[in-house]
Amino acid sequence: MMRIIHGISYLGYIGWAIVTGSVTIVTRVLRPGQYAQPMIVEIPLRCVTDLEVTLFASSITITPGTLVTAIAAGTSTQPPVLFVHALFEDSEEAAMEGLYDMESRLLAMTRGRAPSGPAASSAEVEQEEERP
Amino acid sequence: MNDAVATTLVGVFGISGSLLMLFSALAMFRVRDALSRINVFSPATGLGMPLIVVAVYVYDIHSEGFSWGSLLMAAAAVLCLIIVSSVGSNTLSRASVLSGQPVYRKTAPNRLARPPAGVVDDDPDSPDQPRTGA
Repeated sequence: MMRIIHGISYLGYIGWAIVTGSVTIVTRVLRPGQYAQPMIVEIPLRCVTDLEVTLFASSITITPGTLVTAIAAGTSTQPPVLFVHALFEDSEEAAMEGLYDMESRLLAMTRGRAPSGPAASSAEVEQEEERP
Repeated sequence: MNDAVATTLVGVFGISGSLLMLFSALAMFRVRDALSRINVFSPATGLGMPLIVVAVYVYDIHSEGFSWGSLLMAAAAVLCLIIVSSVGSNTLSRASVLSGQPVYRKTAPNRLARPPAGVVDDDPDSPDQPRTGA
């Protein structure tokens, strides 16, 4: 039941992100000066299953202004890693904060509750993999 | 639904969708590399084309009347457009990186080129560090 509520709120969040991102891209076209500040950031994932990684990568790419450029598979000691191309973020920290926020909402949808820790560590990954 | 409301809705959705396509195309001229061009095109496929589908659906309701078939078709079209756009952009960007397309030199930080500070990047296959016992 909680999953359905989180799922609907996640759909609304993605829809809103698409609209605001599109507005950013369009208004920046009309403004002179530097258009974008491109950067490629690296985020270790808290997503574990293939479904979670796929959904997260698709959500990032469908949001205007962010694009997944590469995915590194996880190993037994390291979580999977996404390399995300971001255009309009002020700093690397701001970009990663936004992406972690999206990931928390997505995990709340797939698992029924938001993950506790703010960042991924190898211990957390091992713990998640042991879960049936 | 009366004529004025239907015409207004079709116009608003259709024109805003078309303008999004136009501005996405213009934005592609303002950025410098392949990755950014793939990136700025997502408003067109993620929002512009669904808006045009909505405009067609409103026109269909107005001219033919409501039917579950056309509602299903419109919903499936919007869903598929968003999924195809996302998967297609992912594939394009991966292809562009893997084929060695140059990345705009002012891309900073570029974590594909340089790992974060403090990370030791050992390559076991590099000739500088011959494997022991090989």
